[in-house]
Amino acid sequence: MKKYLFIAAMLTMSLAVFSQAKKPTLMVMPSDAWCYQNGYMKIIPDGEGHEAQIPDYEEALRTSMDLKLAIAKINDLMAERGFPLKDLEQQVKLIRQQTAEQNLVTSKSGNEMAESPVDNLLRVAKADIIIELTWDIKEQGPKRTLSYILEGKDSYTGKSIGGSNGTSSPSFSADVSVLLEEAVVAHIDNFNSRLQAYFDDLFANGREVSLEIRVFADNAAGIDLESEVGTDGEELAEVIDGWMATNTVEGRFTKLGSSENYIAYEQVRIPLYSNSGVAMDTEAFARKLRNYLRKEPFNIPVKIMNRGLGKCILVLGEK
Amino acid sequence: MKRNILLLALAVLMAMPSFAGAKKKAEKDTEHFRYEIECAGNGTQGTYLVKVWSYSKRAKVAAEQCMKNAVHGVIFKGYTGGNGCVAQKPLANRPGVEMEYEEFFKLFFSDNGEYYKYVSLTGATQDVVKVGKEYKVGIIVSVQKDELRKALEQAGVIRGLGSGF
Repeated sequence: MKKYLFIAAMLTMSLAVFSQAKKPTLMVMPSDAWCYQNGYMKIIPDGEGHEAQIPDYEEALRTSMDLKLAIAKINDLMAERGFPLKDLEQQVKLIRQQTAEQNLVTSKSGNEMAESPVDNLLRVAKADIIIELTWDIKEQGPKRTLSYILEGKDSYTGKSIGGSNGTSSPSFSADVSVLLEEAVVAHIDNFNSRLQAYFDDLFANGREVSLEIRVFADNAAGIDLESEVGTDGEELAEVIDGWMATNTVEGRFTKLGSSENYIAYEQVRIPLYSNSGVAMDTEAFARKLRNYLRKEPFNIPVKIMNRGLGKCILVLGEK
Repeated sequence: MKRNILLLALAVLMAMPSFAGAKKKAEKDTEHFRYEIECAGNGTQGTYLVKVWSYSKRAKVAAEQCMKNAVHGVIFKGYTGGNGCVAQKPLANRPGVEMEYEEFFKLFFSDNGEYYKYVSLTGATQDVVKVGKEYKVGIIVSVQKDELRKALEQAGVIRGLGSGF
């Protein structure tokens, strides 16, 4: 009897763990504007014979004490609210360490670890929600004022979650770090209140994600999105549209564009939990669509490429 | 001598209902948001520095009520900013939350209730203005908003940022 009670208790506990929605990750980063203004940009070739400027976070974190202080303060205040953030500096270090390991590890027979160009591209500091930080000091004679912007952005939908901004009162004596700390402390509650509204919307209307459907060229299944695969001659794109309408929260999604090789869905509202009560993310949602397409009468093989908590790409025709 | 003592006792007895009446009226004013709350500067980490104006026929009652009104204001009203001061939203901004948790707040805002833990006077000075038949008293107080938020989260009145995940 005791044994059954123990099993029941364990099952209840595991269900409680599963039934929590997946927590989005947050990370504070300096904005591109701040990096540009303060000379923390690096130039890289874009592969088409031109040069592109991208923010050099590593250099910024190594040399700007003000930036480190602001990020540490925000991390501290968010941890206080029960929402610890990913640390940009640690992420940058981790990526460098992973790259070094990747280059050194070989098998006993001398083979290197497999890595596709996409794997390499994805190895960047990222989080589900990016908190962009910008500040600027204006001097008027002996007086200094600090203008400050904190803006949250959903990494996958690109939407602004909201932010907080303002200008400090003029100060004769306070240095930048003091003004910055004051600004962070004064503005964080307003930012968190917007973040809370975003989370409330998420719980009420489901997680907003993006989904892309693509087709392998000359695939073995011999299909594209205009192939008539439905029982009554429906095109594959129509079949997928129908599935989306049934499986999104209140049928909410926007079809951004489509062709015989491509469909882009945005503002797709997926439920936070599956029918069995397990927390769901975009990959789990994409897997449901894959399972539907690979069954009769379609029999289409599908490759899923996960791009985090909020974006997935399904490539049809092969694995 | 006896007569003097009797007169004094009578005066005290007569004054008591008037004091209690003023107190009751001030409590009602709080429930009906009849107070003003404004930013008095950016507080230190974990606190809001606010100036609260309360009304009463007795200046002492109005001054006492300021502490309660400050906590009430931070929870339900929020305040505007300006001049380097940052505006803040109320901690409980869900409509109807005050009615939903009526019993909790009745106890919370009772005399010597839990609200008192989260507010402190920052100085002895107070502004007193006579407005018609009553006094308007303004006091600067510091509200421990982080601790207050935690208490409200624990009571289930407001959701924590990470709750549900």
